[in-house]
Order: sequence, then C-alpha cells, then structure tokens
Amino acid sequence: MAELSLHHIDKIYDNNVQAVYDFNIDIKDGELIVLVGPSGCGKSTTLRMVAGLEDISNGNLLLDGRDITRVPAKDRDMAMVFQNYALYGHMTIYENMAFSLVLRKEDPNVIHKKVLAAAEILGLTSQLNKKPSQLSGGQRQRVAMGRSIVRSPKVFLFDEPLSNLDAKLRGATRREILLLHKRLNATMMYVTHDQTEALTLADRIVCMSMGHVQQIGTPLELYDSPNNTFVAGFIGLPPMNFFDVTFQDGALKGKGFEVQLSDEEKATLADYNRKQITLGVRPEDIAEGGSLTVKVFSNENLGMNTLVHGHMGDNLRVSAKLRGWSNYRAGDTVQLGFKRKHFFDKETTNAIRKGDR
Amino acid sequence: MMNEQSVRLDRMRFTKNTTSSRLAILAIVFDVLYFVSLYKINVDYYYTLIMGASILYNLVFMLAAFLSSEGVKNYKQGFSYVLCVLGIIQIARIFILPIPAHATTVKVGGAELLAMSDGQFTRVVIYLIASAACLFAAAAVNLVKSRALKAHIASLEGQGA
Repeated sequence: MAELSLHHIDKIYDNNVQAVYDFNIDIKDGELIVLVGPSGCGKSTTLRMVAGLEDISNGNLLLDGRDITRVPAKDRDMAMVFQNYALYGHMTIYENMAFSLVLRKEDPNVIHKKVLAAAEILGLTSQLNKKPSQLSGGQRQRVAMGRSIVRSPKVFLFDEPLSNLDAKLRGATRREILLLHKRLNATMMYVTHDQTEALTLADRIVCMSMGHVQQIGTPLELYDSPNNTFVAGFIGLPPMNFFDVTFQDGALKGKGFEVQLSDEEKATLADYNRKQITLGVRPEDIAEGGSLTVKVFSNENLGMNTLVHGHMGDNLRVSAKLRGWSNYRAGDTVQLGFKRKHFFDKETTNAIRKGDR
Repeated sequence: MMNEQSVRLDRMRFTKNTTSSRLAILAIVFDVLYFVSLYKINVDYYYTLIMGASILYNLVFMLAAFLSSEGVKNYKQGFSYVLCVLGIIQIARIFILPIPAHATTVKVGGAELLAMSDGQFTRVVIYLIASAACLFAAAAVNLVKSRALKAHIASLEGQGA
C-alpha cells in the first residue's frame, strides 16, 4: 500500500530561480505515473524532491497520509533507478543487488533469497557472478532495477532509465518495466522526455513545461484531448500541425486555404465567430482525397505509413502520415483532407471544447 | 523450498570465501612481524647466507600466500594444499633460524651475549606459529567450504537434469 500525494510543491533554488511551480497530484496505490516534458521543464527536479535528493521549497509531500516533506531520503522507503545505472564496478551483480540490504545489516540468508527472487524476475540469474562491465546496457539497467526491487520499497522512482540505451534495447527494456510494474503492482514515478515511453508505460501522464504542470491525464486523454497547444504539440509523433485560422461563415479560413466544419465543430466554435483561433491537426488525422492542395517537398516511407511533408495555402508547412506506401516526389501536388481537428484559443493557447464558455 | 542450511550453501555460489582469504592475509601480516623482529638480531650473526636466504624466502612466501588468498577466495581447492605447505614451512623455519640464533653467543664489547635474546626468540616463534596457524585454518576452512559447494552444485545440476 503506497499512496503518494504532492500538494502545492514548489522548488525555488538559492539564486531565486524557480524550477517547479505549484505541483499537485495524488498518486494511487500501484499507479505508474510518468512525468514527461522537454529538458529543463522540472520533471527530474520534481522526482528528486520526491526522492529526498532535493529540498522542497514549499508544499507538502505525503506518503500514505504521512507527511515526509522533511524526512531524509534514506528514511523515505523509496528506491530510485538512475539513467547512468550507478552500479559498483568492482562488485559482482549479486553483490550490487545485495548491497543496500547488507548496509541495513539484514540476515544474509534473507538477502540471498531476495536477490535470487529479483534476479529471477529480471532474468539475471545466470549473470549474478559477472561484473557490470561484462553486461550490456539493458542488462545493467535491469541490475539497477533489481537493486531497487530487493529493497521492496513503497515507491519506485525512475529517472530517465532508458536514455542510455539504443532504440531496440529501449523498446525491450520498456516492455520489461511494464511487465515489472504489472508483476509488482508497485507505485511508480517515471521521468522521461520520450513521449513514446510516456504513452506506452503510464497509467497517467503529467506533462510539464517550464516548471508548470500542463496537463495530468491518461495517455489517451493527453493524445486525444490535449489541454493546450503545448501538450498537443508535445504528445504525438510527428507533432501536431498548427495553423492560424479565422472562424467565419461556418468555415475556418487560413492563409490561402479554407476548411469546412461539421455542425458539431461549428457548435464548439460558436463563441469564436470572426475570431482568430489555432487549428491543430495530427499528421495521422490527415488523409488523401480532400480539398486541400499540398505541394510535397519530402516523402518518408516508414513501412506501414508514409510521412509526407509539404506546403499548402500561403506556404504553410504541413506533415501528413498517410496509410500505405507512397512515392511522392518533391514538387508533386497531393489533395489532402483533415479528418479530426483540434481547436485552441489564440491568446491563451488553451483547447476550445464544447461548453467551455 | 530451500531450508536455511541449503540457503547458506547456495549463498556460496555468489559470495567469496572471505574467511579463508583474510586468514591467509593475516598469515602474511604475522610473517612481516616475524621478519621485522628477526632482523633486529645481533649484527655479527646477521650477515650469514642463511639470513640472505630467509629474506628471499619471505618475498616468495608473501607472493605465494597472497596468490593463495585470492585462490581460496574463489573456493579453489588446490590452494588449500599450497597454504598447508606454506604453513609447514613456517613451522620448520623456527628450527632454521630462531633456535640456532637463540643458542648462539656473540661478543659485544667484550661481553658474551646470546645472538637472539629470550624475549626476541619468544616473539619470533609466536609470530611464525601464528602465521602457520592462520594458513592451516585458511586451508581447512576452504577445504570444507569448497567441498560443500561442489556437492551443492552437483545436487543442483542433478535437479536440473
């Protein structure tokens, strides 16, 4: 049982630079929360505050209802997995995994059982007598996770654990983390700047920018109903296309192009008549056969899909993810249409949803 | 489900035999104390061939004991026998230098004195015996542990087959 609550957490450094503003979240027992955002957005700082490696300037941190804001890191019953593994090179894998328990002076037989159980979970049983230098990056990261598992902490904290791995290994290790979470059913906080990791791992995602929480929600909520242009642009690969348009006469009019709207979309934008808004369209929501003429400048075949980059209207850049294999050449024109649209207030950048006003 | 005894044995698959290893290192420490005490012997007796050989042997002993300490750390049975031989030699060394030196007299300023005093003799003998005891203990512990580990691994392989 481990419920973690962050209430109005701020981080202000001695030089008065504020890294985190009013962070609030209640993490349920067994939930995997992913903090995602670009470099410098405050996600690692938040994680380090939870771990006790950074002081919390304002706010409260509660673990199972107990205030641990000022509790030292060693007494928080949390285990952290770092990007650079932080393994002891002169120790074997067994000794690395057992180390924290040895320091706690636990019974050697108990330590042995815990290490073997963790190694079994992580598929490291045959590697226990090796040194970290003899293992691959993925295996080393699993050792780092094993070192956390043996402690049976209340909360697992992961600080960009897959960043040092190549793409293939990252995918495999990501699946292992997911299986591990399901198996242990432990409360986890996971920091990454990789939105693919966030979308595939998270029960809920916290999207951050410049120290502010932009949106907290399930991966589908963040993908499907982004709160603002930042979240819309950050979640999804390739990123969402944005166009400045004016809602007028039941249509969106941009520079050199016009998009007709459905009745439901018109109703959503009822309060924005003759006003400028931001239209967001995901590349995967663009399909061939519409009324928009796009002049192609780049064609990337991804196997199942083709990523087509071009210009439409008054030299507006657009990226479309088209189904199947296409062979457009630079200079070709293609007719495209928008299937699903997102609308954002031009001034606030917040999403415009039906009944918002 | 493993019982406590099995767990204790199983642990040896992943942990070093530090007891034997440390005992072997301790034997080296006692040997150092031995030769430091020995070289305080009266100079007239000091410059002999046997003393030169003793110095050389000390170097060989320290190297052999250190390598054996690394061997027994990994439960290598053969190094137990090396440690036993080194232990026997340490006992034999009592009869090569300390006893003859303790029985020899030298003239210092016209006075007839023992080449090795009673106190010095007692110390060097204790150091050599302690060094030998550590070597024997290291060897014995390693023999017992390595055999138990061997049997345990064989039983695990039997279960797996």
